[in-house]
Amino acid sequence: MSGEILLSVDDVSLSFGGVRAIADVSFDIRKGEVRAIIGPNGAGKTSMLNVVNGFYHPQKGEITYRGRTRARMKPHEAAEQGIARTFQNVALFKGMTTLDNIMTGRSLRMKRNIFWQALRHGPALDEEIKHRRVCEEIIDFLQIEHIRKTPVGALPYGLQKRVELGRALAMEPELLLLDEPMAGMNLEEKEDMSRFIVEANRLRGATIALIEHDMGVVMDLSDRVVVLEYGRKIADGVPDMVKSDQKVIDAYLGAGR
Amino acid sequence: MFYREAGQYKTTYAADMAIFPIRQDRYGLALILLIAFVAIPAFGNQFLINTMMIPFLILSLAAIGLNLLTGYTGLLSLGTGAFMGVGAYACYKLETFFPQVNILVWIVVSGFVSALVGVAFGLPSLRIKGFYLAVATLAAQFFLEWCFARVPWLVNYNDSGAIEVPSETLFGLSVTGPTATPVTRYLVVLTIVAAMAWIASNIVHGRIGRMWMAVRDMDIAAELIGIRLLRAKLLAFAVSSFYVGVAGAMMVFLWLGAAEAEAFNIDLSFQILFMIIIGGLGSIVGAFFGATIIHLLPIALRALPAMVGLSIDAARIDQLTFMITGILIIVFLIAEPHGLARLWQTAKQKLRVWPFPY
Ligand SMILES: Nc1ncnc2c1ncn2[C@@H]1O[C@H](COP(=O)(O)OP(=O)(O)OP(=O)(O)O)[C@@H](O)[C@H]1O
Ligand SMILES: [Mg+2]
Repeated sequence: MSGEILLSVDDVSLSFGGVRAIADVSFDIRKGEVRAIIGPNGAGKTSMLNVVNGFYHPQKGEITYRGRTRARMKPHEAAEQGIARTFQNVALFKGMTTLDNIMTGRSLRMKRNIFWQALRHGPALDEEIKHRRVCEEIIDFLQIEHIRKTPVGALPYGLQKRVELGRALAMEPELLLLDEPMAGMNLEEKEDMSRFIVEANRLRGATIALIEHDMGVVMDLSDRVVVLEYGRKIADGVPDMVKSDQKVIDAYLGAGR
Repeated sequence: MFYREAGQYKTTYAADMAIFPIRQDRYGLALILLIAFVAIPAFGNQFLINTMMIPFLILSLAAIGLNLLTGYTGLLSLGTGAFMGVGAYACYKLETFFPQVNILVWIVVSGFVSALVGVAFGLPSLRIKGFYLAVATLAAQFFLEWCFARVPWLVNYNDSGAIEVPSETLFGLSVTGPTATPVTRYLVVLTIVAAMAWIASNIVHGRIGRMWMAVRDMDIAAELIGIRLLRAKLLAFAVSSFYVGVAGAMMVFLWLGAAEAEAFNIDLSFQILFMIIIGGLGSIVGAFFGATIIHLLPIALRALPAMVGLSIDAARIDQLTFMITGILIIVFLIAEPHGLARLWQTAKQKLRVWPFPY
């Protein structure tokens, strides 16, 4: 598990007006691991992911990704550097089919310009077919063949979450940020999703940052866990250690869990 | 003949990705093209060609253009009429400066001029969205209309203030101006519209179309996938304005023969907008459906009473068509925002499984 450090967050603070969402948080993510980020509601987990992929700009602190400390970065630049993301409340392209949603994840890898696209022949068609093949593999892997041509707006929530994972995987990301991929799912769906996450990590080689409320899932899947509460980091370590940490127990009991 | 896909197995992704994957659809398209290219020129009379088909095709092209921007990319524009004007005036200026160059070249070039103007007016679209963007395009509409009426250079200092089309030939055949026959003009328009509809369909089914729809459906997620929002939106403005500009140039050069600034006013913008609402936002065939309802239906309604021997006066009929289109627009906005194109899809789906829907 102990690969080199892929991402490190140093002393980051972020506030919205008077609300302190993240306060002096530092942690790192190593190449190839599943890194869980947990904490009670409003702890700043989602905000942390938004900082990592350039959607929010922290007032203080530094982010170093692949050894490069970055200044202000735009979300599309994060994507260009191999960071993909799913959202807490599904952000799919509702009017598009499952296949098109996943194909959109290949956008950055498709290079043919508008003049080739206009003809949809020769190189443009070859490119389209090549990427279609990759997407079909992902569709097989996620077992969503039957909804390939269905507009995603019409799909049940559990399947939408799956399609969203597919779209992120289509980017072949180096770092995959998953914001509560199993929220609102039943046990069986959770098991499927866990399997997909493990395989994405092991077989597809994606380093994963995972936000999840289900402790069972977190303990099973993750290599290391960072715990946030009111924007501060209160614990960081392997699951067993974090589980028995008094501060973590208090935070969760205090939050009524 | 039944509308079925049974027995038509797609064995390659290329076949599955074809824009008309079902054989009957391809036959249907071939039939339509045959009628359009052969039957109508052979048997159609002046009225059918001049009053119905040429405007129908040109308005359809403008509707395709607006649909790329509004239906596919989600950017509402109320400036379509003015952008058609940009194409028309650009074509007029180019044609009168360099009359020796083929008119078809200038029609295409005026599309590019319109695209440039479209990009300029599209620049604010990164910052402003929805209602406010619509207002910005409305400002563009009025500003451009003002230019058409007040900048005499645009009409070569004509006393009439209108642009008038000189006669032009293509391969020795007269294609524009008073000497051109309706059939020639029709065939030129049809060829351009068919080719550009095919190109639009290719674009929206590929990477660029997906990028536009992603921006329309969820711009934040699109950006996190690596799509640059400003570029995507400006490209949509450019391509859309290109289509609209070509339609505008054809409107003057191959249909009306002359036009004043007023021809490109806000009414035209709304007419095209209604076409894509009724026909279907985000659909290329929808543009043709919409033009059928907005342009051809009123003509049919006007002809109908006379055909069945009723004599209703013309003003009454105009009011009637006005009401019918109004009602249709409201019905579609409420009941089927995806327009006739979606109804057509649904009907085909039903037909495909008929008579055993399970
Ligand atoms: N865009 C924003 N504007 C203002 N406040 C925000 C914004 N985003 C987050 N916050 C605030 O920052 C704090 C942390 O929110 P965040 O969404 O990161 O929590 P979370 O740990 O993801 O919670 P949950 O488990 O409910 O998803 C909250 O108090 C929230 O209200
Ligand atoms: Mg959250």
